[in-house]
Amino acid sequence: MDSGIDLKGSIIQSLIDLGLPPGAAKVVWMPLPLGLMLVVATVGVLVAVWLERKISAAAQQRIGPEFAGPLGTLQPVADGLKLLVKEDVIPNKADPWLFTIGPAIVVIPIFLSFLIVPFGQNLVITDLGIGAFLWISLSSVAPIGLLMSGYASNNKYALIGGLRAAAQSISYEIPLALSVLAVVMMSNSLSTIDIVNQQSGYGILGWNIWRQPVGFIIFWIAALAETERLPFDLPEAEEEIVAGYQTEYSGMKFALFFLGSYVNLILSALLFAVFYLGGWDFLVPVELLADLLGFSINSPVVQVVTASLGITMVLVKTYLLVFIAILLRWTTPRVRIDQLLNLGWKFLLPVALVNLLLTAALKLAFPAFFGG
Amino acid sequence: MNLAQGVQIVSLGLLTLMMISAALGVVLLDNIVYSAFLLGAVFTSIAGMYLLLNADFVAAAQLLIYVGSVNVLILFAIMLVNKREDFVPMTRGWVRKGATAAVCAGLFALLATMVLSTPWSISEAMPSTESTTLQIGTHFFTDFLLPFELVSVLLLMAMVGAIVIARRDIIPDIGSASEENLSFQLPERPREAVGALSESGSDSTGS
Amino acid sequence: MLNFLKQVGDYAKESFQAAKYIGQGLSVTFDHMQRRPVTVQYPYEKVIPSERYRGRIHFEFDKCISCEVCVRVCPINLPVVDWEFNKAQKKKQLKHYSIDFGVCIFCGNCVEYCPTNCLSMTEEYELSAYDRHELNYDNVALGRLPANIKDDPMVTPMREFAYLPKGVISPHDLPAGARRAGRRPEELLEELEAELAASEATAETK
Repeated sequence: MDSGIDLKGSIIQSLIDLGLPPGAAKVVWMPLPLGLMLVVATVGVLVAVWLERKISAAAQQRIGPEFAGPLGTLQPVADGLKLLVKEDVIPNKADPWLFTIGPAIVVIPIFLSFLIVPFGQNLVITDLGIGAFLWISLSSVAPIGLLMSGYASNNKYALIGGLRAAAQSISYEIPLALSVLAVVMMSNSLSTIDIVNQQSGYGILGWNIWRQPVGFIIFWIAALAETERLPFDLPEAEEEIVAGYQTEYSGMKFALFFLGSYVNLILSALLFAVFYLGGWDFLVPVELLADLLGFSINSPVVQVVTASLGITMVLVKTYLLVFIAILLRWTTPRVRIDQLLNLGWKFLLPVALVNLLLTAALKLAFPAFFGG
Repeated sequence: MNLAQGVQIVSLGLLTLMMISAALGVVLLDNIVYSAFLLGAVFTSIAGMYLLLNADFVAAAQLLIYVGSVNVLILFAIMLVNKREDFVPMTRGWVRKGATAAVCAGLFALLATMVLSTPWSISEAMPSTESTTLQIGTHFFTDFLLPFELVSVLLLMAMVGAIVIARRDIIPDIGSASEENLSFQLPERPREAVGALSESGSDSTGS
Repeated sequence: MLNFLKQVGDYAKESFQAAKYIGQGLSVTFDHMQRRPVTVQYPYEKVIPSERYRGRIHFEFDKCISCEVCVRVCPINLPVVDWEFNKAQKKKQLKHYSIDFGVCIFCGNCVEYCPTNCLSMTEEYELSAYDRHELNYDNVALGRLPANIKDDPMVTPMREFAYLPKGVISPHDLPAGARRAGRRPEELLEELEAELAASEATAETK
């Protein structure tokens, strides 16, 4: 496999050339990708919020935000600024400590999960050996924060919302993990980089979506439920429980929940792209294109083009999925809590198990196609 | 001492501090909800310890199973129980506390002697972090096969038990119908059947 | 065994059907995204109120005879009629008249029953205020004529759906002389009068 652009190595090398000792150069490098990922996630949220508002408006034959910036693109920024300077109210008789910690516990694991999201061969913070598993285990921590904020709000709607969120998230964790497991089984690795590399080489034909036709639907349903998107947004169902666990929150704490839910949506879409849509792969293999056009795949220009094409592909796939999620939001009605749990335990779980078994059997039978 | 070692030592200290103080909080705090949340903190810091020991898969599993499932279930149980009860202060409550303290002190002494008597050997070799999952899998299916299978049987039993408890139609009808009625009735004045009422009314007018 | 397989098959079929229906719904939603927005961009575009629009009430001080019928027919006796008996003229003399539009429900009963037609409905609906007491209009405020939306150079007037030509659903970019579908009230009136005149003429000839 070609290594692509090694940003880390080249930046550290250039820092050393500037006269820094190697240790210090590494220390300077370390926070860079982390900060970059935070910025990427936040900007991604701004884009997602803008898309949500514009697409929702279009689906309802409205115009949506239009005066803040060109086509209203600055509206999410304005929203964020408003939330930033808003008064931070802690309700009377609420538990101030838990009330404050709750949103942080919801948001931190989601941002931590960005550790394993790859945008290219070397464009990832860490290529952990347990990548996919890390995401699943981190996303299981969020319900604690939801329960905490629901309990601390001293509000029955908040408590019901928190309990619903936790129940929902626990039930859908299992089909999610099982569908990811089928993908992991095919690529023999939990690392997100390896999962993408296993799909690359044949362009769009090599993507896991063809080999996991059931798995990707299960993954998408479970991911929507995990992110509390609309067919499954019971924890914050306006008509029943005001806003669920967010009811008593205002200002920056509410903004954390808001940010968390959208980062989670983007994260799920990114990982969907990684697991099933070939990550940074273009529709046709890049090597083939380079050969056709007569470039060497290892020349610097081609490397840069490939890397930016990879990032673009990841973002395009991600926002396509975000678009589908938004469209689903305005298409499907909210399910009831019993329907939700029935769907999770009685439909998705057995289907995911069968899918896993089938994948294992196919892998044994056709190791060439299903990853030997 | 290079940077990595310094970070390791500092995070070891922080994790230890966090774990011990959270554990103390679990035991000593009056509010049971705080205890449950602090239990989550204890589990998380244990996961951090595993991470320091280069056991990344175990750390993630610890987070998934203990924080994400066990602790959430404990919280569920606490929050769904809605009973406020005023407990009468027990006479001679100190006996219990004393017994608990003695047992705990004994356990602590045992562990302390174990820690002191074990010849700890610190291996200098860097363990490979790449394939911990593979190593765990290999161990599970070779030298730890029996415990592994036994644990899975245990989990299967727990699952069957949960299904048996959750299935309503298996529970036999206990007692007579009147008893069943009693248990499902709201605490209000027992109503008379309409027919009985009219009968009694006609009776009274007739007499 | 067969029964079980049939159950599984039915379940699978239902799942596929559900997926199909969700797909249909998605296509409907997607189709809506290409349609033109139906909203009116309020401060820049305004809908022209219809003829029978019940907006803020207009009051003509000089016509009022202080009969207080408006107060009696009002569901909540809202209009305040402050009059004094003028002994010289032997007439009630109106001093003040006010309606609180923070409370009024714009039912139009007062307009309907006013014997001298001194009350009438206008097409003014922008009644926002910083203080609810500002909505308590006295006879001076009630006597102001509302500005016509079409006269405001800042505002693009938009016709309501019923006033658009046949087949047109968007009020944007209408040609200048576009007529609404059907006949206009004055035409109906003319027609009626013509009919009446004709029938009278035939009656006279007979």
